[in-house]
Amino acid sequence: MTSIQSTLGEEEGGGIAEELAEGQRAISIAEFFEKNKHMLGFDSGARGLVTAVKEAVDNALDATEEAGIKPDISIEIRESGDYYTLIVEDNGPGITREQIPKVFGKLLYGSRFHAREQSRGQQGIGISAAVLYSQLTSGKPAKITSRTQRSERAQYFELIIDTDTNEPEIQVEEERAPGESDLSPTHGTRIELEMEANMRARQQLHDYVKHTAVVNPHARLVLSEPALDGPRHYERVEGADLPAETEEIRPHPHGVELGTLIKMLGVTESYSVSGFLQEEFTRVGAKTSEKVLNNFRDRHFGREMGWAVPRDSDVDLEAAITDAVANKGAAATETFAERVANTLSSRERTTHSELSEIVDTVADDVAEEYDANFGDTVRENAVEAAWEVLRSELTADLYGLVDEATSTRKDDATVSGLADRLADKFDKGDHRNRATYATVVEYVDRSADRIVSEDVTFGDTARENVVDALWAAMRTVPDDVPKVSRVADDRDIASQLLEGMREADILAPPTNCLSPITAELVEAGLKKEFDADFYAAATRDAEVHGGDPFIVEAGIAYGGELEDGTVDLLRFANRVPLVYQRGACATTDVVKSIGWRNYGLDQPGGSGMPNGPAVIMIHVASTNVPFTSESKDAIANIPAIEDEIELAVREAARELKSYLNKRRSMQKRRKKQDVLGRILPEMADKLSEVTGRKRPNIDGALARIMNNVSVERDVDGDSVTLVVENHSDRTETPKITEIVSSQPADLPDAASVVDLDGEWFITWEPSVGAGETVKLTYTVADDADFEIDVDGVDTEKLTIDA
Amino acid sequence: MSTKQDEELAQERLIDLAAEFYDQFAAGEVPRMNIPTRTKSNIVFDEDSKVWVYGDRTSTRSANSVRGARKLLKSAYAIEFLVNQLEEDRSSTLRELYYLSESWDNEEAQFQSQDESNQMIEDLEIVSKVTREDFHMRPEESGATLMGPLELREQTRRGERDIHCQEDVGEGGYQIPNNPDTIEFLDHDIDFVLCVETGGMRDRLVENGFDTEYNCLVVHLKGQPARATRRITKRLHDELDLPVVVFTDGDPWSYRIYGSVAYGSIKSAHLSEYLATPEAQFVGIQPKDIVEYDLPTDPLADSDINALESELEDPRFETDYWTEQIELQLDIEKKAEQQALAARGLDFVTETYLPERLSAMGVI
Repeated sequence: MTSIQSTLGEEEGGGIAEELAEGQRAISIAEFFEKNKHMLGFDSGARGLVTAVKEAVDNALDATEEAGIKPDISIEIRESGDYYTLIVEDNGPGITREQIPKVFGKLLYGSRFHAREQSRGQQGIGISAAVLYSQLTSGKPAKITSRTQRSERAQYFELIIDTDTNEPEIQVEEERAPGESDLSPTHGTRIELEMEANMRARQQLHDYVKHTAVVNPHARLVLSEPALDGPRHYERVEGADLPAETEEIRPHPHGVELGTLIKMLGVTESYSVSGFLQEEFTRVGAKTSEKVLNNFRDRHFGREMGWAVPRDSDVDLEAAITDAVANKGAAATETFAERVANTLSSRERTTHSELSEIVDTVADDVAEEYDANFGDTVRENAVEAAWEVLRSELTADLYGLVDEATSTRKDDATVSGLADRLADKFDKGDHRNRATYATVVEYVDRSADRIVSEDVTFGDTARENVVDALWAAMRTVPDDVPKVSRVADDRDIASQLLEGMREADILAPPTNCLSPITAELVEAGLKKEFDADFYAAATRDAEVHGGDPFIVEAGIAYGGELEDGTVDLLRFANRVPLVYQRGACATTDVVKSIGWRNYGLDQPGGSGMPNGPAVIMIHVASTNVPFTSESKDAIANIPAIEDEIELAVREAARELKSYLNKRRSMQKRRKKQDVLGRILPEMADKLSEVTGRKRPNIDGALARIMNNVSVERDVDGDSVTLVVENHSDRTETPKITEIVSSQPADLPDAASVVDLDGEWFITWEPSVGAGETVKLTYTVADDADFEIDVDGVDTEKLTIDA
Repeated sequence: MSTKQDEELAQERLIDLAAEFYDQFAAGEVPRMNIPTRTKSNIVFDEDSKVWVYGDRTSTRSANSVRGARKLLKSAYAIEFLVNQLEEDRSSTLRELYYLSESWDNEEAQFQSQDESNQMIEDLEIVSKVTREDFHMRPEESGATLMGPLELREQTRRGERDIHCQEDVGEGGYQIPNNPDTIEFLDHDIDFVLCVETGGMRDRLVENGFDTEYNCLVVHLKGQPARATRRITKRLHDELDLPVVVFTDGDPWSYRIYGSVAYGSIKSAHLSEYLATPEAQFVGIQPKDIVEYDLPTDPLADSDINALESELEDPRFETDYWTEQIELQLDIEKKAEQQALAARGLDFVTETYLPERLSAMGVI
């Protein structure tokens, strides 16, 4: 209502403002929900049902995993008159009687919002939003049954959310014995919601459940809905463990915003900023904290410019100091002045703070040696006197800095002109010559503007170089930074601290707050739900965006029963399938931008979604997945995340490529083998016709042509020879098993013999180098039958003549 | 002379070739056939015979690849066909072979194009060292014609015929048979042999009575000369000791016609010794003539220029004479046909051009 200003109605004595005030009241949670349900994923009956399933299942998975239980979750959708009833049941730890109404009957209640840890839900809006949606559309309360692990009996609640107060309103509360309760497992939670809905989004629902099964190979899911003949089971991958437990981490200094920082400053128990930083943030120790504080000092106090002792000036530094010291005895004064002067002369430049320190040190030494007392006033006088001398020749110092910072094309007049004017600024500025970066910029700009003329230019780059040179020559001051309470009270100071934090190099946050599925389980998940010929998966190392660590994983399944056509993209954020708004998602953009033809997939036009019997899955795990909206359907286009997605997908795609290449070359080989296997015998026939000889044996030639491994058996009386010829270009180690009907003899040690009910299995594993031939011999009764089996060589590359 | 002996030899050689493939199979080797590479970079001048023959580079047709295996399969079928043809004393044309392959029981063995079957016969010729005439394979178009004071005896299917190539023939002249080795020269009154590229010029010479006036045998080349034409030219030179001159258009394609008469063609370099007449001389039209006689011309097309440039790299044309002529032509960027001489009158060629050129060459 900001567009109508109350001042408009002043003539009528503020009547309008009062009128308006009457209409101004707190918006009820129901109204808020009604207005924002699209944002929360409840914009239609079809979608509402899917979202409710999603919220309930996410909750169930989180609850079970947290308790270290492998999830067993059943999802049931029933038609009940004009409405649908959704029942989701888990084998989790259950919820205590006191918590149940709050968890399900209060929006924005949850343990997750403040935690920096990978988790499915974050805002605590999900399941209660589903409760609210159900009560608003059907008027029925949510029915919740929960039994904790230790409890004998289950708690049963019927509750609604009071939309005016956002508080649960309990309609029924009972304690039920196991026999009376609907809850099937011995512990867990069951929620039953009745809502206006339809099953138009059946495909999305099935996708959601199936995809959930893919990324949660450790979970067992059961789905029943009216259109299915019976419950559909999604089994657990054997040996799939619960996801690694995540640890909550403190915020990373690079990931906080000003408001959050001020809030944190307000509640911290630390007194000093240094303590605050080390206490409240991850990856900040004493060293990092000092780095941040120095950055903070530079912003808060500015740096000090130091000066050299003038060389050719007639001002005598020693004399000036001597003059400033009174009543300290000639020897002590002389020694003091000499030492200070010598120290200063040996330094390239000295700032006011450094000067004070030097004077203090020398004064203490001299006082001890001469048993004199150098009081504060004397020291101050000495500092001032020396400082005056140091400040007497600013132009020379500045000339050196400017000359070094500017290119050789700037002539001497320009450089000295600028130095001159800068000297003037420093002279007229702060007495101790302190200046913030902004002030230095201003000095340089103003000075440069003055010397710029038709012949002289002084561009932005040159100015920046001069500013940087000056800033680098200046020194951070040793002053104490403001205390936490002051920083918390002053927005500007807090902002200086935040800038200091952002500028400091700080280690990336730890990644034990993340639990990636791992490449192995991504592959297992895909194998479980998709019947394909090939699977590949990749898990990237953790990266950081805005202080939140994230990990991207990708998987690809190809061939088999997968349908040809546009490739299916499965998107996941923190193990939750993203079902809607595929087009708005960063993952989709990345997949489209990859040149899939390089990886052996068809891609019309060379960009866009590739074609082929394939499924690509992408999982982004983060303490804070950036979504495009509250309904959490699409991952936002953050460059750092997109880069990682691309690298993960490419990693998996490279495996796909080599698989496809191999498959293609095998296909080619098979085709060649087919054609040659037809042509060469025909040629041999024709040759025997023309020459009038009997048909030649062409197997040797065939094996040679196919770069094959050929295994041939020669039987001569009772001696048997297996000739293994390797015509390929690398060493092959075929596993050859010969099955003979009577006991073999004269076998070398390298062969093993097993007697199985009158059949003898002889096994060799010879290593045959490229182009080499190995002969395996044994003897056996000459009426024996033989059968041979060769493993370890692709069938396409094997020719057996035995 | 094609005799029973030649045919038996041809048959034997073909069966030997099949046996070679057979042995390769039996030894567990990949069947293959080595043949000289038939490109202009692989022809060399043979000092002994003064003709261009294939060099040492060979290509291998091997059953290692699907393509090579198909080729060898086709060779096996072609060998069988040729052996049977010789057995039955029949003959066929190259084109007939192409169509005949359609009737073979094996689709893989059938030829895809006539080029393929022609090339196959050439391969077999080279490997078996038997000419295709001895395989009883004929080219499609018959040989060209002769006109001049020559009496010869031809073995025909209807017996021997004695023919005088001026008196016993019509305006069209004597038709050279496919296998000129069946001809026996009886008598002649020839001073030199004049090979002419185009039919128009041949007719002009005959009409003007050039053959009778100069005792010359006019051989019509009909463009790129058939093997029979080149063979009979060679025999006329070798057996009757006659000078041979070649008269063509003045363009790069015509120089190649001269080249194949004199030096042998790239595709049949294995037969150069049998077909080429290294002593044959080039009459014209020379690029020099275009300039000297100021003949009507056409500009060189891009393809002409490419052909000329490729001839500069052709070992057959690596002589001072040809280098000079080709460079001159590239310089003037013009070409002229034989008939361009008619611009000076119909008798100019017989009364001025040829007598001038031939006496300059020392032929008359």
